Amino acid sequence: MGKHIIVDPITRLEGHGKIDIILNDDGNVDRAYFQVPELRGFEQFAIGRRAEDLPQITSRICGV
Amino acid sequence: MSEQFEPKIVAFFCNWCTYTAADLAGISRMKYAPNVRVVRLMCSGRVDPQFILAAFRDGADGVLIGGCHPGDCHYQEGNYKALRRFHLLKPVLEEMNIEDERFRLEWISASEGDKVQKVINEMVEQITKLGPLDLEPISTPETLDEMLEKEQEIAV
Amino acid sequence: MSKPKVGFYWCASCGGCEEAVVDLNEGVLDVVEAVDIVFWPVALDFKRSDVEAMEDGEMAVCFINGAIRNSEQKEMVEILRKKSGLIVAFGSCSHMGGIPGLANLHDKESIFNRVYHTVPTIDNPDGTIPQVETSVCGTTVELPEFWDTVRTLNQVIDVDYYLPGCAPPVNLIVGAVTAILEGKLPEKGAVLAPDKALCDECDRRESKPENLCIDEFKRPYQIIIDEEECLLAQGLLCLGSATRAGCDSICVKGNMPCTGCMGPTSRVNDFGAKALSAMASVANANDEKDVKRIIGGIADPVGSFNKYSLPASYLHRKVRK
Repeated sequence: MGKHIIVDPITRLEGHGKIDIILNDDGNVDRAYFQVPELRGFEQFAIGRRAEDLPQITSRICGV
Repeated sequence: MSEQFEPKIVAFFCNWCTYTAADLAGISRMKYAPNVRVVRLMCSGRVDPQFILAAFRDGADGVLIGGCHPGDCHYQEGNYKALRRFHLLKPVLEEMNIEDERFRLEWISASEGDKVQKVINEMVEQITKLGPLDLEPISTPETLDEMLEKEQEIAV
Repeated sequence: MSKPKVGFYWCASCGGCEEAVVDLNEGVLDVVEAVDIVFWPVALDFKRSDVEAMEDGEMAVCFINGAIRNSEQKEMVEILRKKSGLIVAFGSCSHMGGIPGLANLHDKESIFNRVYHTVPTIDNPDGTIPQVETSVCGTTVELPEFWDTVRTLNQVIDVDYYLPGCAPPVNLIVGAVTAILEGKLPEKGAVLAPDKALCDECDRRESKPENLCIDEFKRPYQIIIDEEECLLAQGLLCLGSATRAGCDSICVKGNMPCTGCMGPTSRVNDFGAKALSAMASVANANDEKDVKRIIGGIADPVGSFNKYSLPASYLHRKVRK
């Protein structure tokens, strides 16, 4: 196995992110993973709220 | 568990009717379950919904509010306020998975010692069947790690 | 003299609080003049390792927005607590849990099930759900552990001050930054906003009747909203009487009822319970049947009264069954 490079956090953008890059023995990229761990569950908790509240609630998915 | 579950019930009784009724029940030697901690307030209208939620948070398995019958409030309309808050708080508790039987409002006049006895015994019986209210304590920076360990055992 | 160092960080949030900082407009230049920003993922390229390399207490203040709902956020705020003299909970989410806090009406299992299995837009034939550790190519790739419960910042680390609002109003941010720079901060634990109800500063306060009585709660689609009259007097569920002032009532100015993002005043512990109490009190009914009818007009009480404050409330999450 080669090197495991972690870029944490990725910056200058909206959202949380982390990049894992795994190099092979020759120093080339073997695998790369891009993580967006910002799960909050809007899909679930928006159910049951008042319809008139949804524009306010869903705009908090991303406020940028 | 060999020990039988003894529910803790917090009762907010108004000074003029229900508290006097509870006194009457005592004087008349009416036996009722000892699971109730009575808090005397001047009026059922003084029962802030915060008191009820704080009681649940601090370990109550049930909360009972006792006030004067409609039209009998010493302060004209305090019990109506209690009634309105009760009906708005009910759906909130239901949504938070707190069973209907755990929160009760009763009109008990000063002469109805027997009703105090009946309501309390009934409530204790129902809540004993339900079991303890397993409300998770709120974490603090000090207790967080311990709570997260427990949480991991429960969660997927 | 070196300038005080400042950090910004976000947790379970939307980025709107970062926008609020940018809303300082040219004012942000004065801030940058006065302080050195040493950590701010949205705008500047500093890594976690840069923060870890700082001395304890090196930052004068760190503004943290967002609720705390996974292990990575916990680790980061714990590091920031060590590296920072003051911690300011910035915005409704870190103050009271905010809108992501509504997830406390559910649990991890049901959220994962919805998001990764049943939501109409998902394409996940293998039924994969996030794993904390995955072994790959002889190394391990890690994801944060998603919690069952959403927490406010002060349930995770010690917090010095709170800047309320979703997002915090610009004038309050300026006020807080100025107070920190001049060393004129109130007692620890204070909310850096006026300690009075929104109704007290609302433009429509003159039209709020002394003895407000509502015969029917209305939903916004049911009426043509008068642009000058008190919204609560029109039957709309406006929480201004239970909510802290300081936002210049921008929602009400825009004909939108207040939904309580600024949280309670200092006299109240549970915002939702107090807002509920205030709304129940104005229902104009004494008879049980009428009470039920009027109160029944309030849809989704738990979400409406705790829209921004569920994790900070006394019950804080749904009881597990």
